[in-house]
Amino acid sequence: MNKPKRIATITASFLTAGLLAGAVQAADLHVLNWKGYGTDETWAVEAFEKASGHNVIHDYFNSEQEMLTKLRTNPGTYDVVMINAAFTGQALSEGLIQPVDVSKIPNVADVALEMAESPMLNADGKTYGVPWVWGLTAIAVNENAFSQLPTSIQVMWDEKHKGKVVLRDDALEAVQFGAIATGQNINDIKDLGAVRAKLASLMPQVRAFWGSENEWNQMVASGQLDVGTYWSGSASRAKTNFKLPVAFVIPEEGVVGWLDGLSIPTGAKNVEGAAAFINYMIDPGFYVEWDTKVGAPVSANSKAVAALPETAFNRTVLGDPKVAARIQFQAPVSDADREKYLALWQELKVEVK
Amino acid sequence: MMGTTRLLELLGRAFVGLMLAFLYLPIFIMALMSFNASPFYQLPMDWTTSWYEALARNSGLIDATWNSLRIAVLTTVIATILGTAASLALRRYVFPGKRLLRALLFPPIAIPWLITGTAMLIFFFGVGIGRGLHAIVLGHVALALPYVIVVVSARLETFAPEYEEAARSLGATQWQVTTRVTLPWIAPGVVAGALFAFAVSFDQFVVSYFLSTPGEATLPVEIYAAIRKGFTPEINAVSTIIMTVSMGSMLLAARFFRFGGEK
Amino acid sequence: MPQTDVSQRASTGPRSQWRPALPLLLPAYLWLTVAIFLPLSAMAFFSFMTELPLSGKPWAFTLANYAAFFEKSFYAVLLRDSLRLALEVTLWCALLGFPCAYVLAKILKGRSREAIFLLVILPFWSNGLVRVFSWAIALRGNGLLDRTLNAILPFQVNVDLMFSYPAIVIGLVHSYLPYMVLTCYLTLQAIDDSLIEAARSLGASRFTVLRRLIIPLSLPGLVAGSVLIFVPVVGSFMEPRILGGRAGTFYGTVIEDQFVAVFNWPLGAALSFILLAVVLIILGAASPILKRAA
Repeated sequence: MNKPKRIATITASFLTAGLLAGAVQAADLHVLNWKGYGTDETWAVEAFEKASGHNVIHDYFNSEQEMLTKLRTNPGTYDVVMINAAFTGQALSEGLIQPVDVSKIPNVADVALEMAESPMLNADGKTYGVPWVWGLTAIAVNENAFSQLPTSIQVMWDEKHKGKVVLRDDALEAVQFGAIATGQNINDIKDLGAVRAKLASLMPQVRAFWGSENEWNQMVASGQLDVGTYWSGSASRAKTNFKLPVAFVIPEEGVVGWLDGLSIPTGAKNVEGAAAFINYMIDPGFYVEWDTKVGAPVSANSKAVAALPETAFNRTVLGDPKVAARIQFQAPVSDADREKYLALWQELKVEVK
Repeated sequence: MMGTTRLLELLGRAFVGLMLAFLYLPIFIMALMSFNASPFYQLPMDWTTSWYEALARNSGLIDATWNSLRIAVLTTVIATILGTAASLALRRYVFPGKRLLRALLFPPIAIPWLITGTAMLIFFFGVGIGRGLHAIVLGHVALALPYVIVVVSARLETFAPEYEEAARSLGATQWQVTTRVTLPWIAPGVVAGALFAFAVSFDQFVVSYFLSTPGEATLPVEIYAAIRKGFTPEINAVSTIIMTVSMGSMLLAARFFRFGGEK
Repeated sequence: MPQTDVSQRASTGPRSQWRPALPLLLPAYLWLTVAIFLPLSAMAFFSFMTELPLSGKPWAFTLANYAAFFEKSFYAVLLRDSLRLALEVTLWCALLGFPCAYVLAKILKGRSREAIFLLVILPFWSNGLVRVFSWAIALRGNGLLDRTLNAILPFQVNVDLMFSYPAIVIGLVHSYLPYMVLTCYLTLQAIDDSLIEAARSLGASRFTVLRRLIIPLSLPGLVAGSVLIFVPVVGSFMEPRILGGRAGTFYGTVIEDQFVAVFNWPLGAALSFILLAVVLIILGAASPILKRAA
């Protein structure tokens, strides 16, 4: 038995060595983000590489928890990371990100002050996250199922749409949605019992819990969905780029707003490239192309939004001051609260099973 | 009497046909949708080959496919050899702790891959193995091993140790006994074990996902990473090509090799 | 009959044969130790901690994560549901896979057998996620199945299996059927045809031959297949989540949540090890029954 095994071992090690041959280049720029979320658009990467000489390499995550774990277990691997502002504080407290030298990022000057100076992204007078894009989580409807667009969140509870309602399979989003439906502050939920009761009464209406944008769009395309929670950027993409009968509704009760920032991890090897990349990401030129070609959330850069065509969803709807008054921006959530919300959400799902 | 046998045989063949239809229904749909223009698989069909054109330009997806193939082949070779050797020992010899060794095969199968993958990421990070293709192969072989051992062992159960003893009494060395008597008998089990190992590795996303270095993804990783935004029919297109090629090569293999245990 | 139990040889052979077994076992188990057992031990260690050391927070040892399983009634409910799901999927796979393997091993001959043998495994090489999404296209209302049936049938039917328990079962049976066909094939093919002919010529009915001869002789394959299906299905989360809709909450999905939605690995690990313990107890309890049956 010994001889063939030795041969096998030798062959295996040769093969492994061959597999490992791809070496790392000097001007590599490693970006960690959701897949298909702006930074990895082929045309954008090509344009940036040509202009800056850096070679962009992407890695992806599928949940914020995973993003943090990747940062924890791969120190020095990434140069730019996309972090939801509600998580920036946690990443900072764990020492995962470093201060960003905003003087190297000229486009920051055009970012709206309330975002640029947001306490979620800044600490001790230093910036740890550059505001990139923001958007809303509210409801979207299948236009074929409505003669007139709803204005209230209560449409989700309407008996007429029973079995054609969807919710995202996400505890935090569900609980914050329940908070808005019960007229509470999403960042300071006083009466969780009311949220639970409100969601419990919604569950029998629900057909499915969606996980991906594509799933949501498929359900609309096959006529299985009347109304459900959705993201503004996704709804605009579904409408403008995929020509699906989707309309985004900003209910009078309020909407959840979120802000995504770009940060530089501790130990990043290409800080200079990172600053250049972040600058490019909030540049009006990139943003207008992203929104018109693909469909995007709203840029944090006011000049970038102003450069959009006048009819653009992100300019007309989200730029409306009446809408701005209804937005409740997501603040950081403690681990204890997250776990409490998850337990509540799991209980609700088991009850309705 | 003969008539009943014929009828039963006919029914049996029809049943196998039905099973194949069931097994291939989603594969057929996958292939069909790679020719559908709608990225949301909308019906009725709107025929196009544009996803294949998009795929040809998508070097990331193609590289990932090659990576997957290389890893899967390597995993299959290592896992089949190590697994078959271990199965032989578990069948042939009597020693204390054998039950424990058998029971130890279940944790990797029972514990969801997500947890095993996370555990590997943390452990490999902690001991300095790190991420990369070597770590992926390390993980894949480990995940495939229990499958190989269970499958080969099932075949070995049907093997009478007397055969080995008879050969030995005729003066054969241990090496000759293994290669001339035992291995030919368990060959179908080894082939099946290898096919399992390949499948486990080729479809394994969680472990690869945690252990791959940026820019060196595997196909399942590309697919899994796309799950939030949803993937495009390019994935269907690449899957269809893989299926067609594997089907062709498998049927070719069946044409030239005998491994079904035909006597 | 090639079914001698190894333990019988123990009395005649040397008491312990560690020495020759070691070189064959060592590579595989060493590999498993580095890549699986040690990482999982680390996970087991985490399951007794209040916080992960990774997050930099202070931590202490606790049994609270295991206690959580008993404090919230839904964990036990979901584990029961998952066990039932796994049992159903295993039974379906056995019912469909065993006859299929029998035909493959005993009726089909020559090249066609090898070709079909491979064709059975091939779907298994496709990506799991892609397969699940394909099933979604087939099963949903106004989907492929619905359209095809309505095109063929003279009357109107309404097929919408998507987001239901049957959809999960279909998806899982499809994913795991090849395991059963293959493992059963391996043992069925080893049964000598002359044995079956002899039994028949001695007047045994087809059913008797099946019950007294074929099933007992092919039991190792049936058992191996069942284990390879039952064990992973208990912890499955992808198929239930995507195909199950409202019916798709299972034990595997709540474990996944502890890793994905919150950073509570200790609880997720504790839930996984409870799952492992329950599975091992079930397998342990089932093995004497199966031994007797054989």
